[in-house]
Amino acid sequence: MSKRSSLRKSGTKNPKQRLEKQQLLQPIFEKAYDAIAVTDDQGILIEVNAAACQLFGLSHTALVGRILADFTDTKFDFAQICLRVKAGSEQTGKLELLRPDGAQRQVEYTLTLNVVPQRHLMILRDITDRKKAVEDELWCQRQWVELFSEVTLKIRQSLQLKEILRATVTEVQRILQADRVLIYQVLADGTGKAISEAVLPDYPAILDLEFPEEVFPQEYQQLYAEGRVRAIADVHHPDNGLAECLIEFIDQFDIKSKLIVPILQNLNSHQQSESKSQNQLWGLLIAHHCDRPRQWVDFELELMQQLADQISIALAQAQLLENLEEIVEVRTAELQDVNRNLHQEINDRMQAESALRRSEEQLRLITNALPVFIAYVDDQQYYRFNNQAYEDWLGKSLADIHGCHIRQVWGEDCYQRMQIHVEAALLGDVVTYENEIVLCDGNSRSFNTTYIPHIDEQQVVKGFFSLASDISDRKAIERTKDEFISVVSHELRTPLTSLHSALKILVTGRLGTLSTDGQQMLEIADENTERLVRLVNNVLDLQRIELGKFTMEKQACKAADFMIQATEAMQPMAQQHGVILVTQPVDIQIWVDSDYIVQALTNLLSNAIKFSLSGGTVSLTAQCQQKSQVLFCVHDQGQGIPQSKLETIFERFQQVDSSDSRKKGGTGLGLAICRKIIEQHEGKIWAESILGKGSSFCFTLPTLLRNS
Amino acid sequence: MATKRVLIIDDEETIQTVVQFGIRMTAGWDVFTANSAPKGIQTAQIEQPDVILLDVMMPDMDGIATFKALQSHPETKHIPVIFLTAKAQTSEKRQFNDLGVSGVITKPFNSLDLPDQIAKILHWQLQS
Repeated sequence: MSKRSSLRKSGTKNPKQRLEKQQLLQPIFEKAYDAIAVTDDQGILIEVNAAACQLFGLSHTALVGRILADFTDTKFDFAQICLRVKAGSEQTGKLELLRPDGAQRQVEYTLTLNVVPQRHLMILRDITDRKKAVEDELWCQRQWVELFSEVTLKIRQSLQLKEILRATVTEVQRILQADRVLIYQVLADGTGKAISEAVLPDYPAILDLEFPEEVFPQEYQQLYAEGRVRAIADVHHPDNGLAECLIEFIDQFDIKSKLIVPILQNLNSHQQSESKSQNQLWGLLIAHHCDRPRQWVDFELELMQQLADQISIALAQAQLLENLEEIVEVRTAELQDVNRNLHQEINDRMQAESALRRSEEQLRLITNALPVFIAYVDDQQYYRFNNQAYEDWLGKSLADIHGCHIRQVWGEDCYQRMQIHVEAALLGDVVTYENEIVLCDGNSRSFNTTYIPHIDEQQVVKGFFSLASDISDRKAIERTKDEFISVVSHELRTPLTSLHSALKILVTGRLGTLSTDGQQMLEIADENTERLVRLVNNVLDLQRIELGKFTMEKQACKAADFMIQATEAMQPMAQQHGVILVTQPVDIQIWVDSDYIVQALTNLLSNAIKFSLSGGTVSLTAQCQQKSQVLFCVHDQGQGIPQSKLETIFERFQQVDSSDSRKKGGTGLGLAICRKIIEQHEGKIWAESILGKGSSFCFTLPTLLRNS
Repeated sequence: MATKRVLIIDDEETIQTVVQFGIRMTAGWDVFTANSAPKGIQTAQIEQPDVILLDVMMPDMDGIATFKALQSHPETKHIPVIFLTAKAQTSEKRQFNDLGVSGVITKPFNSLDLPDQIAKILHWQLQS
């Protein structure tokens, strides 16, 4: 501090010292790096140093005496600047220097007023280069950001990995102005190959070349997997420590300089990854410079790294996509399958439906054309189907019948008559009965109705089919027949009674005796009248039974009772024929109309007696069978019946020998009547025979046990 | 056994005749005849027979109506009635029995057998 103050004092006071000082300042002024100019108040250059001459591009003599404004743009106003400096606001500023040679320089200046009175010091520094460098860098960075976002966009926009990789190498090559950019994929077996490449046409392509494992050994892979980035400005420079053989290898591809960044694949990319240890080296993003070594700058490294990251993301996405595609493919196949099946099913169903429709139309056509009631009734007694006849005869529309209860359709009275049969059908029995139905025209008609139960595989009755046909005409004929039978009964039987009785009285001989011939004739008349009586009786019996006109009045009876009754009735005839008639009555309760059973038994016994030889035995037996039925048998020891006749003898007027009826006094209707009677009792009748040894006529009847 | 008195009511005269002949010849019973229901009822009231043989199918007034008429008169009410009928069916026989008739004999019959059949139905002891 004291030194400085002394200097100041000496500067002002000592002329020698001032000279010394001037001598010292002169060379400093001359040699200063920055341009120094001294101006007057108008900005006219009074003195300039060498650097200033260089800056302005003029010689000292050409420059001194010029006004500063000549070299600046119009915005530069020296007086104004001086005022601002005087006010102390700013001492430095920038101006654009227009050199006489046409060049422009950016200049930063410092103005110090009145270094000596009315002389101002101006120090000028050329900042053109510096500014340009900053601008260049800014431009580069903007360019880089733009390109980077462009590449990123391309990567993001494409889901096709190949497309992404191709775009990446192309763009990187363009941005870095590199001679070759490639993506090298590390394969599972340790080898690798360039799968994408952008290379200038002057240099050899590496694309699709496979590199052996030793080119890129495991330990290198490990380093890259951990994130190593390598920027080698000059592969031949010993500092890089590249092995000789490797240099030789890369020389063949004209590689002078290289930049390598790893592309990592996060195996847990789909999970919340907690560490980077799961990263695996997928490949490398590599830039080559081929014509000469190249210094890689930081932002290039950064760009490469960021792009590699983007590729990683793209890889993850591609993998996801691939999985997705696989899933989609599988699902699509499944859906197609389902779709096909569905189509088939719809087709089948439509076909089935149309077939059903056709068959239903056909069914309707057929059933509607028939003059009978046809219906299907469900297990709750509701109509599920009915034909046109219901509409025509009952005057009820389909809607009045379909889905309605039988009672509702037919009315209470009619339903009372139907109910028992409906219930039987729903218990699984086939039912046939006759019913009087009053039709919509007021006429009462007779209908023969059959219910056939609808039984499913599980033996459950689902409903029944109903068929009812008008039998009024048949009924009318039956009535005529009945009337005829009635007439025959009376008109034929009455004279027959007189004839029969008269002849019998004559035969007694108490009204006088005839000649032998006369007696013979009388006997012929008597015998034939008797036969006629039997025939008339039998015809009428059979007629009644066949027409179902007679009613069985079944009740609990003891088998023994009517066995005795029948044998007692036939005893006189047996005695007459010299036949021994025996029976072993059994005490079994059966449910029959005893009159008819006695009739059947006497028919069989009389047959057996007629066809027995004198001295033969006819026996009537009965025995229980399986608790539910009784077997009755009439055995004889007669001539027997040929096998071929065993079945037919139960038919009307069927006898083994047609002369039998005349010889034995039968009508040929006895067995037919027997069969009818037994069948009406739900029994069976048959004959067994051994020729020359005898025959057995057997029938079964249900016991009371079954019917009670 | 005393001689029985039998009344036969039938519109067929041949039947009347053979019945009369047969019964007289076999049993020696007295037989009265009537060829219509009203006549029969009248005869029954007058003669008080032991049994009436009544034909079912007769014009105007049939056997059933005649039987009912007989039942309604105190003087004939007690006389047993046996139907003579061509209607031989069991149910018809039962229907007749239900009316209260003593028995049914179906046509055609042998009039010589009638006394036997009547005696059986009415539980008469016949002299052999």
